[in-house]
Amino acid sequence: MRVQRNCVIDADRDTVWKVVSDPDCYPEFMASLERWEPAGKGPVKKGARYTVHWKIGSVPIGGVVEVSEFDPARDLAWIGISGVSLRGRFRIRDNGDGHTKVIFRLAYESAGNLLGLIADRVAARQVGRNMSATLKNLKQMVES
Amino acid sequence: MRLGATAGLRFARRVNMTSMPGFSDVLEWAKHQVTSRVPKADLDQRDPDYIREQLPGTWLLASLYFRADVRRLDRIPAEGPVLLVGNHSGGNVPPDTFVFTLAFCSYFGVERPFYQLAHNLVVSAPPLGWLRKFGTVAANHENARLALESGAALLVYPGGDYEVFRPSWQRHHVDFGGRKGYVRLALEAGVPIVPIASVGGQETALFLDRGQWLAKLLMVDKLARLKSVPISLALPWGLNISDLLGHIPLPAKIVVEALDPIDVDCDDDVVHKKVVESLQAGVDRLAAERRFPVIG
Repeated sequence: MRVQRNCVIDADRDTVWKVVSDPDCYPEFMASLERWEPAGKGPVKKGARYTVHWKIGSVPIGGVVEVSEFDPARDLAWIGISGVSLRGRFRIRDNGDGHTKVIFRLAYESAGNLLGLIADRVAARQVGRNMSATLKNLKQMVES
Repeated sequence: MRLGATAGLRFARRVNMTSMPGFSDVLEWAKHQVTSRVPKADLDQRDPDYIREQLPGTWLLASLYFRADVRRLDRIPAEGPVLLVGNHSGGNVPPDTFVFTLAFCSYFGVERPFYQLAHNLVVSAPPLGWLRKFGTVAANHENARLALESGAALLVYPGGDYEVFRPSWQRHHVDFGGRKGYVRLALEAGVPIVPIASVGGQETALFLDRGQWLAKLLMVDKLARLKSVPISLALPWGLNISDLLGHIPLPAKIVVEALDPIDVDCDDDVVHKKVVESLQAGVDRLAAERRFPVIG
């Protein structure tokens, strides 16, 4: 299941990147975040790991994710290495006039065959709402 | 009802003592038949891949049917053995157990060893064999000790079949029926206790009476460690005696919260009091949020 939301922020890419690449900012702008802990020490870079859980439905869903792309002011991507199969990405691009377009993507896949497919689809609405709220928070944080 | 129970007991004793000299042997034989069918705890039967595949279906049931809400799992130590002590609700189909198991496995990952103690009849029932893959083992001191010594988290409901069949109007009352062996267990294993408070389970049917008098009358208290033959109004049966076949639970909203850990470093009674008080306070707090039964 792939869910995508985007927004345009009135700031340049570097300003947006400062927030998106700072792990300390995630509890502030990531909506429905239930758990956010570095799973190791050191700065954010490719290979850095974090434990992340979002409250989806009745329980926290997520697991340990690993940063798979760290391309400053362009792309930040991660893959889930435990819990539900997951890939995520913040794609940051110029949108003219000093504006920046941020695309937030999540692709996930539950185990469990048919019930897994149904669960993915049922969860998609809430996941989409959380992603929209996340981008709204990010926009507010960067523009304020 | 009490008069009936007393008369029944008197009759049973008379039968036992006079007309059927071999009756105690029959009782002993039947008890052996039940206990010999209780599988020994084999912690290796827990299967993380199986649990992972079941989580989406469980999540659908918990999220859509029971509209469950599980809170503050961060209060559970992130690693190492821990004794999770909950108040139990919902008769033989207790939604709090599977909702919490789902939440624990989702939050800490299916890789973290996690076992649950269940009644002998639950773990020995052939249709429920799959529960052992979830880490459910028969409730006895030895199994519990083994699980904690292996470094696992262990979920116990000391109130067991006594608490789970309390009348629905006592649904927000924590009552272990005086059982406090769990404190000794935690003390011996040197692990903290995390109380797990839950509400909503006792609204999945209308529980009327524990039926302890009926259990004594039928002598299942000796045969199968069943202290209750409960009486309830439940789907699809209507009047439901014993709940041995289970029932279809009403879609009551289930709320579960992990409470602050309690260190086991003093007298059993003191720790037991702390745990029950903490649970009762947690249940009261969650109950105060509910506006309507079932709906939540």
